[in-house]
Amino acid sequence: MQVQTHVDIHSEWGIVAARQAGRKLAREIGFGSVDQARITTAISELARNIYLYANKGQIYIEEVVNSGKRGIKIVAKDQGPGIKDIRKVMEDGYTTSGGLGAGLPGVKRLMDEFTIDSELNNGTTITSVKWLR
Amino acid sequence: MNLKVDVQEEGHSRVVYLNGEVDVYTASTLKEKLIPLAEETNKTLAVDLSNVNYIDSTGLGIFIGALKCTDKSGSTLKIRGANARVKRLFEITGLSEVIEIDTEQREEA
Amino acid sequence: MEETKLSMYQLYKEMLNDYLQHKSEHVLYSAQQLSKEMLEKDMSPEEMVSLHISVFKEMVEDLPEEVVDSFELLLEVMIGYGLAHREFMSLRDRQRQLDSELNVAAQMQESLLPHEEINLKTLDFGVISVPSGKMSGDYYHYIQDENGNMGVAVADVIGKGVPAAMCMSMIKYAMDSLPEQRLQPAALLESLNRVVERNIADDMFITMVYGSYDPKKHNFYYASAGHEPGFFYNADTDTFEELETKGLVLGITPKVHYEEFSLSLEPGDFVVLLSDGVTEGRTEGEFIERDDITKLIRKYKHLPAQDIVNQVFRELEKMQDFHLRDDFTLLILRRNV
Repeated sequence: MQVQTHVDIHSEWGIVAARQAGRKLAREIGFGSVDQARITTAISELARNIYLYANKGQIYIEEVVNSGKRGIKIVAKDQGPGIKDIRKVMEDGYTTSGGLGAGLPGVKRLMDEFTIDSELNNGTTITSVKWLR
Repeated sequence: MNLKVDVQEEGHSRVVYLNGEVDVYTASTLKEKLIPLAEETNKTLAVDLSNVNYIDSTGLGIFIGALKCTDKSGSTLKIRGANARVKRLFEITGLSEVIEIDTEQREEA
Repeated sequence: MEETKLSMYQLYKEMLNDYLQHKSEHVLYSAQQLSKEMLEKDMSPEEMVSLHISVFKEMVEDLPEEVVDSFELLLEVMIGYGLAHREFMSLRDRQRQLDSELNVAAQMQESLLPHEEINLKTLDFGVISVPSGKMSGDYYHYIQDENGNMGVAVADVIGKGVPAAMCMSMIKYAMDSLPEQRLQPAALLESLNRVVERNIADDMFITMVYGSYDPKKHNFYYASAGHEPGFFYNADTDTFEELETKGLVLGITPKVHYEEFSLSLEPGDFVVLLSDGVTEGRTEGEFIERDDITKLIRKYKHLPAQDIVNQVFRELEKMQDFHLRDDFTLLILRRNV
């Protein structure tokens, strides 16, 4: 049974708590300091997205194992308005508030796997994994 | 470059006062203001160019769009106060034949 | 990947060691060169900071905790810079892709223009057309019929760049579909106007001048749809006259009647047709006046027509600091004998 942490995001405090939980697990799994910082940044961006566009949601963090490889899985879930044009938010240079390099394309770059599920008026779920090398 | 657009009611007509340059950068500003006015039915729409020293072809296109609108809505489009350079543009393009161009300058200004 | 990391580690370690001992400019220079190599290998700023910490930790025993911690903070900050850097790289790739698409489109557009050589004893002909960007809203055309008559045209689509270029291809295809009237300027413009009016947005328009030269009568017939007036050069009096024109731009109303004008050319006389990019250019905020154009043409009038238009373009380009505000087309047709 893997440990799963979940953090409610409804304020900037929640973002910090999610970062903390993510960094702790990443360190335990054995990620180096650069990857720890990358994973934490990805969590930050996902949590900020929830906070900014859906007001509230959850971040789930857990260890995953696949054919002997260990990794960390981050799931960001909200029941917000959903994303109208996913292709557009995944485009580089598209930004509503994130600034240079940030936002979902940034998360995709920081992690190894990235999937996004969104339904209008029904919320968004983003799942991302980083594997230990 | 900037373009200032002021709309005033004068008697039975609307007068659009422009100040600046009407070019590829300011054309959309003018379009947003001018086209809705041109779509109103049975009005006289005058555009005062006393404070416009340059119009490029994109700018001229906006006046053509407005002319097509006034033709449909039964309104009349007039141009006034154009300087020599601007007037020449309306003449070369033949638009002075299809848009009424007042050559008199406004005296009270 | 791991191998390059290892060698990079070794390289950086030696470099840092060397610098801490000698503090020489030479090492700093090598470091600068190294940064180029790292960028090439796509090494991110956060990896660089991490490399620095691990090398430093190994070289200096009992590194104060504050120093190590401060690097942790720096690492966190650098993640953002790394992301911005990668975004920049991906945007640069996208720009390259767009550029190459535009290049292909520009080549296609170029192929819409006539390329045949004009070899007429009686006529000297030259034309140049340069877009302000990659694609042009200007169009020119020339054709020789079986009787030796020569038709020439210059058209200018409002605006510039891709939208203007798409519109310009419409003119080309519309002209191809009007075979019979080719050399009758007014009738041709009337037919074109109907096509354009049906196919153009409300605030778009096209200006065009069409002329045809009859080498037996030495007459030049022309009609203009709101186009920038060209010039007639009278060799006998050595003067330029503005071509008389009258006519509405294409695309406003479906029924327009165009007036046809004619000129009689004596040996050495020539006709200049141009797009408004020629006269709408500016130098340091000042307009280039039509007088400036005729002065330039006069300066080179002893040359063949093609050389005149080339030279005039070169000078105008220089006057505008090599930045064309609008597409530029200049065409000269001279009676030789």
